[in-house]
Amino acid sequence: MSKTDIAIIGGGINGASTALELAKNGLKVTLLDKHSICKGASGVNAGTLTMHMTRAQLIPYAKKGWELWMSTNKWLSKDIDVEKRNGLCLAFTEDEEKLLNERSKIRKEYGADIEIISKKEALRIDPNINKNIKCAAFCAMDGYVSANQTGYAYSKALKEHKVKILNNFEVTEIEFSENNYTILSKTGEKLISKKLILATGVHLNKALELLNIKVNIKCLPQQLIVSERMPKVMDTVITVANGKLSLKQFKNGTVLIGGGWPGIGSAEENFTATKSENLIGNMRLACHAIPKLKRSRVARVWLGLEAETDDAMPIIGELPDFNNAYIIGSIHSGYTSGPYMGKLLAKKILGEDVDLSLFDIKRFL
Amino acid sequence: MNYKIKYDVIVIGAGPSGVSAAINCAQKGLQVLIVDISHNTGGQIYRAPPKSYKHISEKKLQENKTQEYLSREIKKNNIFTAYNHTVWQVSPGFKVDAFNDISTIQWHAKNIIVATGTYEKIIPFDGWTNPGIIGLAACTVMLKSHHFIPSQKIILAGNGPLLLLVAYYIIEFGGEVEAIIDTSSKFDWIKSTVSLISNPKNFKDGIKWLTKILFNKVPIYSNSMIAKATQHNEYIKVKIQNINTGKQESLVTGTLAVGHGLIPSTDITRLLGAKHIYNESKGGWIAEIDDYLRSSLDGLYVTGDGAGISGAIAAKDKGLIASLALLYDEKIIKEKEFKIKTKKIFKRLYKYELFAKAIAKLNSTPPQLLNNIKDETILCRCEDITKKDILEAIDNGAKDLNQLKSWTRFGMGPCQGRTCQYSVAKVVAEELKCNVEDIGYLTGRSPIRPVPLDRAIGEFDYNEITKIEAAPL
Repeated sequence: MSKTDIAIIGGGINGASTALELAKNGLKVTLLDKHSICKGASGVNAGTLTMHMTRAQLIPYAKKGWELWMSTNKWLSKDIDVEKRNGLCLAFTEDEEKLLNERSKIRKEYGADIEIISKKEALRIDPNINKNIKCAAFCAMDGYVSANQTGYAYSKALKEHKVKILNNFEVTEIEFSENNYTILSKTGEKLISKKLILATGVHLNKALELLNIKVNIKCLPQQLIVSERMPKVMDTVITVANGKLSLKQFKNGTVLIGGGWPGIGSAEENFTATKSENLIGNMRLACHAIPKLKRSRVARVWLGLEAETDDAMPIIGELPDFNNAYIIGSIHSGYTSGPYMGKLLAKKILGEDVDLSLFDIKRFL
Repeated sequence: MNYKIKYDVIVIGAGPSGVSAAINCAQKGLQVLIVDISHNTGGQIYRAPPKSYKHISEKKLQENKTQEYLSREIKKNNIFTAYNHTVWQVSPGFKVDAFNDISTIQWHAKNIIVATGTYEKIIPFDGWTNPGIIGLAACTVMLKSHHFIPSQKIILAGNGPLLLLVAYYIIEFGGEVEAIIDTSSKFDWIKSTVSLISNPKNFKDGIKWLTKILFNKVPIYSNSMIAKATQHNEYIKVKIQNINTGKQESLVTGTLAVGHGLIPSTDITRLLGAKHIYNESKGGWIAEIDDYLRSSLDGLYVTGDGAGISGAIAAKDKGLIASLALLYDEKIIKEKEFKIKTKKIFKRLYKYELFAKAIAKLNSTPPQLLNNIKDETILCRCEDITKKDILEAIDNGAKDLNQLKSWTRFGMGPCQGRTCQYSVAKVVAEELKCNVEDIGYLTGRSPIRPVPLDRAIGEFDYNEITKIEAAPL
């Protein structure tokens, strides 16, 4: 049995970022994970840091998150590849042009520095895109992270700041008594903590059930496709008007095709499988956007499980009717804003005046 | 072939096991499709010569004759064939995606028989990725299917009977085997003889191979391994080391062919999420199967060496067992027929198992081979990941193979870890002082083989792209 100031259940980007910030402020933090750090969605997502796919209301948070990603060498680790790129969001039809205009306008209202540019201008920024676009939306605040390195980078940083990491700790029970939380694992381990944070991503509903709270969390199994290494075929991060494509080429030459095309998967069974028609649809859209991609071969396909609430907005903040219990998760495009959201929650826990009312869990209770 | 054709059974792999399973199912009236990456039956063991080879050579090898027999049997039994098709994905249900020279195609089947054989195992050593160094099994493909020797002078290294077979064929085709570097001792071979006799045909072959090798005075270095290989302009310099004494000697040659045994292919069963177990003597990770070769998933059967290595002769019988299980599960044959038929086959298989065990011993990986891997030795050749990279990640807290894959990129290249998983797992287990089974296996990922994007997407209009719901704003 061990004791800690604060126990964080779930070692994804949200849990790990919160843990890091709290530890930097002198708290004794223990981070628990059912498997290992950032092994779920945080380690397998597309790593796109774009405003073009961010929910309008989350733009201010995503901007802060983007800035944090661009300075990881200062606060996280130099062991993670982050690249700043221009972002182009493409419209291929008149309907899409209309949609792009509408969506960009609203995102702009929420603070995204997005402007609609002509086909000519878009082709000047990235000559590799399809010449048949109608127009594009441009944003200089874009880029990507090699998400597979997330776990490595966070593990190193957390270790450095003396965060205790318990891998393979599957929580089966949480008891509250005498101002302490007692957390029990499947294998009989026991941890006592003054404070508690639930950050279990797609398993957030399961964690809440341990406290007898019922909230619906949808599990979205999303497919990702990566090509073999190939000569440079693009300069920018490419997205499309309806938000169903993200495309970029990493420094090693591989091109990642994402966009959240659904596959098959369940959070409970920890099993995923692909849907061929959606793989092909996603690939077609990618090759339509960057025609040179056709020369490549697909090296690997995998899936990640994204968590979504009923209103597709995050849950971050205190759990009502509990002392010192908090929650963080279900952040749309959560990888981009994760480090900032974690920081915000940490500040809240440390007693700073932080407004998290937009993400209050009470709206679902 | 049309898109989305339904079959009762799809057999993946047209080697001896797949063919025997397919025939048995077809003879009971099932609609069977057999798929293979090659342009004909045969698998790796009886690989057919390329179609374009009109006058391949005067010689007709026994392997070539067996292959022709398999193809005739397939035709005779009205089995649907999809040769030249590479299966790149199998999803639950079952849906099988494959591509050929032009496009991709999807078939549906109620049952799948996986007969995808094995991969070559090469334990890395300094310089193993240099040009001019090839796999021993790759060498058999050049010989049996192409009647071609990689260079006039060649050194063979590794272990097991493949060393003798390759040496025999090289001499037969006019090449010169400059040395055989065998990790086993002469005593290991003699010890195995008793069990090897249990399979007279293979034993006779072995004697034939050995006689030719001895007659040609090929130097045999027993108890020895390749410590290092360096590539020079015209030749390869090979440093040979005695496993027991550590004594080293250098030789030069044109080609070095190395092979340390075979690894069962588990890509499809891993992709489908079937259960797997670790069995070193069967080649490493294999799908968990019952006596009748049923996997842990309904309708999914595994046969041949992919279900655990026991050789080509046993593979044929394993194909019969798997197909009988399928026919019984589908209620096409009654329990009585199932029991009688399988009992007879099990009797034969038992004998082959003795043979397989002896081969497995000769194929086993001595610890010295793994100890010879230096910090700077490349383990994953697709991504140039060295042993040092792996050890560093472990030092920072990585505890299982999938985590190491994500942190270091080992196994992320085009081969998907087929070549390096075995050695990386051994290195990791050694470092973490645990068993290989404790650190898991790489999660199966599609595509099983890299898919050319142009073939996957085909010709299409923009408005034909599948429509999906827009992301929320």
